Amino acid sequence: MARKIRPVVSIVSTAAVVLATVLFVYWAIHSPLQVQRFLVRLVLISLIIFLAILFVRYFALLWFSYLQHAEKTARGRVESHNLPPVSVVVPAYNEARVLDDAMEALLRLDYPTYEVIIVDDGSIDETVEVARQWEGQHGDVAVRVLTKANGGKATALNAGIAQAQYSFILCMDADSWIEPQTLHVVMPHFEDPSVGAVAGNVKIFNRDNLLTRLQALEYIEGLNMPRRAQGFLGAVNVVPGPVGVFRLEALQEVGGYDADTFAEDADLTLQLITAGWRIIYEDSAITWTQGPTNLIDLIQQRYRWTRGILQAVRKQKWILLRPFPDFPLWLSAVEMAFEGVVWPVLNVYAHLFFAIVALLFGMGELLLYWWILLTLLDLVVALITVSMEEESLSLVPLAVVYRFFFILFLDVTKTFAAVEEALNLGMDWGKLRRIELSQITRAGHR
Amino acid sequence: MSVIDLLITIIVVTILVTIALGVMSYLAYKLRLARRPRQTEEDRAESRYFVIHEPPPESAPATEDTSVAET
Repeated sequence: MARKIRPVVSIVSTAAVVLATVLFVYWAIHSPLQVQRFLVRLVLISLIIFLAILFVRYFALLWFSYLQHAEKTARGRVESHNLPPVSVVVPAYNEARVLDDAMEALLRLDYPTYEVIIVDDGSIDETVEVARQWEGQHGDVAVRVLTKANGGKATALNAGIAQAQYSFILCMDADSWIEPQTLHVVMPHFEDPSVGAVAGNVKIFNRDNLLTRLQALEYIEGLNMPRRAQGFLGAVNVVPGPVGVFRLEALQEVGGYDADTFAEDADLTLQLITAGWRIIYEDSAITWTQGPTNLIDLIQQRYRWTRGILQAVRKQKWILLRPFPDFPLWLSAVEMAFEGVVWPVLNVYAHLFFAIVALLFGMGELLLYWWILLTLLDLVVALITVSMEEESLSLVPLAVVYRFFFILFLDVTKTFAAVEEALNLGMDWGKLRRIELSQITRAGHR
Repeated sequence: MSVIDLLITIIVVTILVTIALGVMSYLAYKLRLARRPRQTEEDRAESRYFVIHEPPPESAPATEDTSVAET
């Protein structure tokens, strides 16, 4: 993507949003009594609608994710004798510090036949040197290294896919560590010829501080639980970058990854669903990844995710207007647009609105009961989802600060990202700081 | 101040402080982005994979020989 980045415009648009909010508050304070009474009624109705949307959303997600969990439990572990060979593609840009750990995990995969292709995307650190040390034969596993001029993750993945010799491709990130059973549990899904891809279960590895522990809960409750629900419908809307297995035929049908969004994983997945492929979720296909350890890095990541997802939805915007004949596809696209722009903006302004009106018009008790209800809901959802994932229950109490601090904080970024995407402002990838595996303590999880 | 009033105060303050923190962190991110040195077109063109051969000045006019470091 070659857009000129204009940080001044970003800052001005941010200031405009903040100013509009401040002006609204000023107007609310100085408006006539009738208007203030109207605002109070509006708050009450908004609170009820907000709660209703939350309950419906959570109920639908929990119900479908429970059905997926029950179906899988009833089916038991599927042992398949048909385990076709797989090509693993690992795109890497300046990943010298973490590539060794990723490769060690890859070579521990419990799978009969696979190859590994590391694609260096024009790194300017020692990534190529580190990758070359892994090149060659490791038992039955051949490791190859490709290098190319820097062109972005999508082009690196496409380069690796073009060189793959097998009909199934595992695409993963160089900063992630895959569990040994991953391919073993994923490949039986492909016996259904309509399955084009299988999304794996991404978990946060570094749970050293409150921020990373909240991300660990978010991945379980906010990402993996919806994926379970979507998986039940065969319409997972994002096959995550750290772990996704694709049928080569499906990739070829949609032309591989496009390089015109910053969420190539979401973009590809939507294209696959549009082409009629089923996208399944496998919760036993676990890959560990690093979460950002400070607020600025977290904002950088979520900003890119939000804009990338909105870019992907915008490419397929026609889907939003056609619920039939492909209802799961429509549902996936609607959910993506809703979670990407509608909900974050609603969430921020709802909280701000409630807080200010409660302060100005003495509705504090109502706000308290609303908070208690939401927190209880969050605790219950956290308990259910953490249990389904067989994760540490020590994450559940974090649900108390999950919504009112963590999600609200991220939704501010998402709101600005949505505004910037609507204004078509420039952006770039940004590179998160990586920490070597040996420096991370695995605190608080099995 | 009763317990309920205290809880209400905490909730309201948390909401307002979180939103303010979100806005400030977002601006800090944008400022960090603005201060980062931009990669120029010249930097992009200087790739480790292309070595341009320059003939010695005394030699006869020669064709440009660009060797590509293949991997």
